[in-house]
Amino acid sequence: MNFTFMIIKRLGSLVVTLVVMSVVIFLLVEIMPGDVAEMILGQSATPESLEALREERGLNDPVFTRYLRWAGGLLQGDLGESIYMRGVPINTLLWRRVGHSMLLALTAFIIFVPLSIFLGIVAGVKAKKTADSIISFLGLATMALPEFVSGVFLISIFAVQLRIFPIISVIPIGESVFSNLDILILPALSITFVMFGYVSRMQRSSMIQVMNSDYIRAAMLKGMPRRYVILRHALKNAMLPTITIIGMNMGWLFGGLIVVETLFAYPGMGSLLMTAIRTRDVPLIEACVLLITVVFAVSTLITDVMYGFLNPRIRFQGDVQ
Amino acid sequence: MNSSILTIENLNVYFDVFGGSVSAVRGLNLTLDHNESIGIIGESGCGKSTLSYTIMRYLAPNSRVTGKVMFREDNLLEKTEQEILAFRGNRIAMVYQNPYSSLNPALTIGFQLDEVTRFHQKASKEKAREKSIQALTSLNMGDPEGLVKRYPHQISGGMQQRVCIAMALLCQPDLMILDEPTTALDVTTEAVILDLIRDLKDKYAMSLMYISHDIGVINKVADRIVVMYSGEIVESGPNEELFAHPHHPYTRALINCIPREGLVKENFRLNTIPGYVKQRGTDEGGCPFAERCSMKVAGCIERYGMREVGEKHAAACDRAYAADVADSFAKLKVSRSKQHADHTKPILEVQDLYKHFGKKRKIYAVNGVSVGVERGTVLGIVGESGCGKTTMGQTAVGLYTPSKGRILFNDTDISVSWKKRSPEMLKQIQFIFQNPGRSLNPSHTVEQIISRPLKKLMGISSREERKTRIIKMLEQVGLSEEYLSKKSSHLSGGEQQRVAIARAFCLSPGLIICDEPTSALDVSVQSSVLNLLGDLQAETLAAYVFISHDLHVINYISDYIMVMYLGRVCEYGTREEVMQPPFHPYTEALLSSVPEIDPSQKKRKIRLGGQLPDPAKKIRGCPFAGRCHMQIGTICETQPPPLVKFSDTHSLSCHLDFPDAVREPAGEATG
Ligand code: SF4
Ligand code: SF4
Repeated sequence: MNFTFMIIKRLGSLVVTLVVMSVVIFLLVEIMPGDVAEMILGQSATPESLEALREERGLNDPVFTRYLRWAGGLLQGDLGESIYMRGVPINTLLWRRVGHSMLLALTAFIIFVPLSIFLGIVAGVKAKKTADSIISFLGLATMALPEFVSGVFLISIFAVQLRIFPIISVIPIGESVFSNLDILILPALSITFVMFGYVSRMQRSSMIQVMNSDYIRAAMLKGMPRRYVILRHALKNAMLPTITIIGMNMGWLFGGLIVVETLFAYPGMGSLLMTAIRTRDVPLIEACVLLITVVFAVSTLITDVMYGFLNPRIRFQGDVQ
Repeated sequence: MNSSILTIENLNVYFDVFGGSVSAVRGLNLTLDHNESIGIIGESGCGKSTLSYTIMRYLAPNSRVTGKVMFREDNLLEKTEQEILAFRGNRIAMVYQNPYSSLNPALTIGFQLDEVTRFHQKASKEKAREKSIQALTSLNMGDPEGLVKRYPHQISGGMQQRVCIAMALLCQPDLMILDEPTTALDVTTEAVILDLIRDLKDKYAMSLMYISHDIGVINKVADRIVVMYSGEIVESGPNEELFAHPHHPYTRALINCIPREGLVKENFRLNTIPGYVKQRGTDEGGCPFAERCSMKVAGCIERYGMREVGEKHAAACDRAYAADVADSFAKLKVSRSKQHADHTKPILEVQDLYKHFGKKRKIYAVNGVSVGVERGTVLGIVGESGCGKTTMGQTAVGLYTPSKGRILFNDTDISVSWKKRSPEMLKQIQFIFQNPGRSLNPSHTVEQIISRPLKKLMGISSREERKTRIIKMLEQVGLSEEYLSKKSSHLSGGEQQRVAIARAFCLSPGLIICDEPTSALDVSVQSSVLNLLGDLQAETLAAYVFISHDLHVINYISDYIMVMYLGRVCEYGTREEVMQPPFHPYTEALLSSVPEIDPSQKKRKIRLGGQLPDPAKKIRGCPFAGRCHMQIGTICETQPPPLVKFSDTHSLSCHLDFPDAVREPAGEATG
């Protein structure tokens, strides 16, 4: 089995995952009390009007038919209509928000991934020395703080005291996020706070493990300078587990996004999902959750590909003698 | 110019540990001449590896070193971190036990070779690559250009070790330190590598320091042996003299622990050394072996210290053959009768057994093996890794079900998983594995471990009764009652194996499958386990299937021997029949590869080239074709060899023409 084949296989299983998840999501929403008709009509519902609406929207069809209709729509790019916003197509609502969230996630990513990997490596190389103690303490401290605490903390320092960044991260009407990039910093930092401790600890322990391995000893005893051994021999191997961990924790990152976006009133997908849940906007919930699933699955795939790329044992599997 | 390469003077290495410090190397003096090769031997914990890392200046931060390590005119201990880089890998190179883990999995072989000359000789990229390819070529490695582009996991263990040796040779070092470089390899590969090392030593006029626990291996490469115990050198001298006339009781005891040619269980018990190597604190002095020494007398401690005892031969004590105490070695001769063997009917019968793994890529692990084990006898199965011996054992235990063929135990078909076997069957067939630590639950006490099968399979419900039985059993395996409440993770490897043996024997089984039961143990512990297994067998009349890669061990313990290669039987017969000519060519090659414990023994040299064929490939002819030194021609490759019978018991499969033998055409090849 070669690497390309593995990727194709993974793509296949990705599709299967998505299909299964769409069923699960659909059924979950299905068993939530109340149906779409009740939500649309709300207080003004009468049994007759409910029945008429159900008939009109096909809500009386068997579950299977409704699922197919929904899934069929999804495939054609039709995510349905929002109920709370009175029939606005979800497509027009969602994608802008997704873009915003991506941008925030990306900003956070650019900050926390290099930072935590770098500091994790430093801590690992200097294990049990002062630098390690400081980094480990920072990691533990930030890990213990939930996003909303660290968020408030950041706001009070940088927004209220220093007034460097805005308190809330709303985008003024008629402007795009790109002309307001400074609003990204504080939310991204609070996400960094959560991820940093975890990722840097992971990086530290894998670095320590690699530095104690036979092949690092062998490289050192070949007379290579320590710095070179760390850079050329240790780094690549030590980053493998970290990459997996980051990939596996994309879900966590999204959880963080929801909280942080709500806290900063940032118009991303997280806050959209919160609103949808609060208003029980079923089609919108479905669309958001499914999208998160897609992102999650794709990021796992990317992680695996990266992993294979860094690790020749995966890339050249099967031609072991 | 001084001809010595390495002079170590009064070297002490301490490790600061929780609550004090322990001494790992103590008062060590050693000289290594130009182009000389010494072997350092000792059991685990004797400080031999610490010594090599001290020379390389690669010790844990909690270590303290005093003394002098002179490499030519430089005291290595006084060099700065920066200065020492010029020695490591350049003037002093090292090769390690496990080639697989010593090569970086993420970098190509070429890269890992090139960097040595790029750093030490400031070679350009092209020049470095050229040198790497030269080094690989000089070790007779085929296709070096292709090899440099590969990753370590893509080549076999023997090739990996050659890459490591090539790496060590790149700068033509003055001193090469080899730390158990062949321990992880098969005997035939080991033999080839050892020859190679000997040749290279003379070709490049290097000095060698060869560290091993295996005296046979050391004999092959070293001119002089240094015996270490508990961080001290206790004896050193030329191989033959040291073997023939050891002066230190430890040297003699150690040599007598090792199963070797001519020692068989009917006539000899192996020597054992009671107790174990103690970590010594820095303040303890005197003879490190005193606690375990059978030659100890009141006055001997004061006289302890290295002295010349012959030409180039020095020992710290000369009481190995002292006459003033009774010689415990005399008791090693025994005569255990063989009478209990029952030749009428086999207790275990394997009929045409096949075991294949995998669906798409089929691995043919066992390919048509038929063999019987008689009541009260030991069948030794020997072969290199990948020969299917372990799969055979595990199929008999019921961990696998056969792909084809049958296994009968006392005429009952047991070709099923152990889950489907009757409790009586489970009781009758017991097993002892290589790694006792892994087969015993680490958090259970010894009592719990042995108690479980007693309750489940013997149906002994009273805890008291179980306990009495366990205590009796523990006594038989040489453990006292105190062990009842000890957790298995707190026991040493040897003790754990004893517990595993006790667990197996307390059910009075008819058959015990022992899969490499001693290969993870030190020789002194191995010998006590082998003695124990021999005694228990004589007492209980149980039959063993004893699987091992070590021919000396197999020779010691077995009544019958089966030699396997690539899932097939090469040769089968009684011990004497298999160990003496006529041989199957593979048996012959194996025997000639085994490092001899006694350096005065010289034997025919047969070196196998090539590697085991891909186990996923179907083989039409003889599995050994292609590596066989006796190969006749294409017939070996195209036609399955016939079964050649020499006696009722002795047979082998080969196309060679053996006079006075009955030949039976071969059956179907692979299924
Ligand atoms: S000094 Fe005494 S205790 Fe030590 S090895 Fe010699 S005889 Fe044994
Ligand atoms: S059949 Fe041929 S290849 Fe096989 S062992 Fe005999 S001589 Fe060697």
